[in-house]
Amino acid sequence: MSGARQEWVGFSLRRVWAIAVNTLTESVRQKVYLVLILFALVLIASASFFSQFGFGDAGEQGALEQLKFVKDFCLGAISVFGMLIAIVGTAQLIPNELEQRTIYTILSKPVRRCEFLFGKYLGSALLVLVSLLVMSVMFGAALKFKGDNYLRVVRETVERAGENANLEEAARQTERIRAAVLDADLVKALLLAYVKLALLAAITLLVSTFSTSMVFNVAVALLIFFSGHLVGAAKERWAESGAARFLLALVPDLSVFNVADDVILGDAIPWGYVAKVMLYGAVYLAAVLAAAQFIFAEREL
Amino acid sequence: MDAIRTENLTKKYNLGWGRGRLLALDRLNLRVREGEVYGLLGPNGSGKSTALKLILNLVWPTSGAAWIFDVPCDKVVSRLHVGFLPENPYFYRYLTGGETLEFYGRLCGMRGALLRRRVAELLEMVGLTAARDRRLSGYSKGMLQRIGLAQALVHDPRLLLLDEPTAGVDPIGSREIRDLILRLKAMGKTVILSSHLLAQVQDVCDRIGILNLGRLVLEGDVSQLLKDQQRLSITVQDLPEGARGAVESAVAAAGGTVVSVEHPETTLEDLFLKALRKDEGGARP
Ligand SMILES: Nc1ncnc2c1ncn2[C@@H]1O[C@H](COP(=O)(O)OP(=O)(O)OP(=O)(O)O)[C@@H](O)[C@H]1O
Ligand SMILES: [Mg+2]
Repeated sequence: MSGARQEWVGFSLRRVWAIAVNTLTESVRQKVYLVLILFALVLIASASFFSQFGFGDAGEQGALEQLKFVKDFCLGAISVFGMLIAIVGTAQLIPNELEQRTIYTILSKPVRRCEFLFGKYLGSALLVLVSLLVMSVMFGAALKFKGDNYLRVVRETVERAGENANLEEAARQTERIRAAVLDADLVKALLLAYVKLALLAAITLLVSTFSTSMVFNVAVALLIFFSGHLVGAAKERWAESGAARFLLALVPDLSVFNVADDVILGDAIPWGYVAKVMLYGAVYLAAVLAAAQFIFAEREL
Repeated sequence: MDAIRTENLTKKYNLGWGRGRLLALDRLNLRVREGEVYGLLGPNGSGKSTALKLILNLVWPTSGAAWIFDVPCDKVVSRLHVGFLPENPYFYRYLTGGETLEFYGRLCGMRGALLRRRVAELLEMVGLTAARDRRLSGYSKGMLQRIGLAQALVHDPRLLLLDEPTAGVDPIGSREIRDLILRLKAMGKTVILSSHLLAQVQDVCDRIGILNLGRLVLEGDVSQLLKDQQRLSITVQDLPEGARGAVESAVAAAGGTVVSVEHPETTLEDLFLKALRKDEGGARP
């Protein structure tokens, strides 16, 4: 080990990754997290049981409405539980490290503070990603289960009618149900939901770099989350006032990430819009992380 | 080259909201030579931990400066060859002992088979091989202390800073830690340890410094400090009761004065260790 003296320790992605994986492992082994994610999965799975199985009185239109309901319900559940996981999973990271003084053992190794902070952030971003993926798979399964059920109803109707079956109509129905289930825009909605939650996690981390109170961190993060959804409307309302616009520009406009309603209504989401919003999210994220590092670097342990 | 050098290292903690500042360390000038075991002694609150944290740049000096192997300690590179055991260490509760050491090894740039081998070696060294796959939330205080020691040693550092390494460890364990420190010294490592258990420090440290209220009040070689040059003690075994007078008069005849005649006491620690050693087969955790 001794001998040639190393003069410089550079920024190391491997160290960032080690800290991120450690953070993720810690989080997923906590009961709070397991309870949250299990509850979310049960809720999402139950969406396909809430609605009725047959076409109902409204016929095929009713079936499509039911599929919309499943999407609406599941995307909503994913959004709420994703938010809870992003906030609760992040708010305690830095305070816990300080309180339990595990940070001493890390920073007394040749680890930069920014590596530590980014590692912690990456860990919670990964936690949100894993949670979102798991919930999305369950959502997909619920949607497919529901769709298959309606496809079977269509098939049975044809079989029952025998000679008199309207095969063309049945084919069209099958096509519409398939299209409703395999909606590619759902992926866009989930992608933007993830970017929003990753940004929310970064904001929570920023708050936790100057406060050690978990309750305060969660409260402020929730406040920013909700005001972030109102800020779009507020901007339109106070478009003339310069001061108001400046203040509103500081709050991230989270409503731009919410395309779920459009997707459910069947409005197409252009990839151009997705790219633009992702860029907005990335720039905001970078600024928030830079601010967090700025505060954290000055903080005594 | 000094392993550690500090110049007028001073730390005042802000107590916040107009309650003023607390002088925790007052112009500490410390030199720890490479290869020596240095003991930082002092009562509670005398600034031992503060000194170590300043050297590791975990807190920042109000004035003064410190160097590790001549590298200013505000540089990350100064910590390349340093292992640190904090006082009352806590680790990630949901990780197992093995995972914990692997994590710290990765932070030091180790990986693969080399890392796995090193982790197994360290667990063996601190006697935690059997607890390798248990989560730290179920570790006892002494076990945490050992995992902390292993964590400090993971990258085979040249310098070790141990803040109360034997706190919470049973007498056998603390003897093992003492032996470990002596082994490290034999390997040419530099060790600086803080403690307020004087007896334990006595037989591992080459030099000690005593802090009180943030000031270094005494420093020197242990052997020098503890030797009483005027006195000589002779321990005799199996002396017949009647012969004692003859010995005493011989001393008097040679011009010396007998100050005390007594049966040597063994320390409580020795007694405890002997009693436990008799009770063989007592499995270690
Ligand atoms: N973060 C802090 N904020 C304010 N005061 C502090 C802080 N850390 C330590 N102190 C004070 O600084 C003084 C020195 O503390 P330090 O922990 O260095 O003592 P120590 O010698 O390690 O004691 P012990 O033997 O109990 O571990 C104490 O009076 C302590 O109260
Ligand atoms: Mg202390």
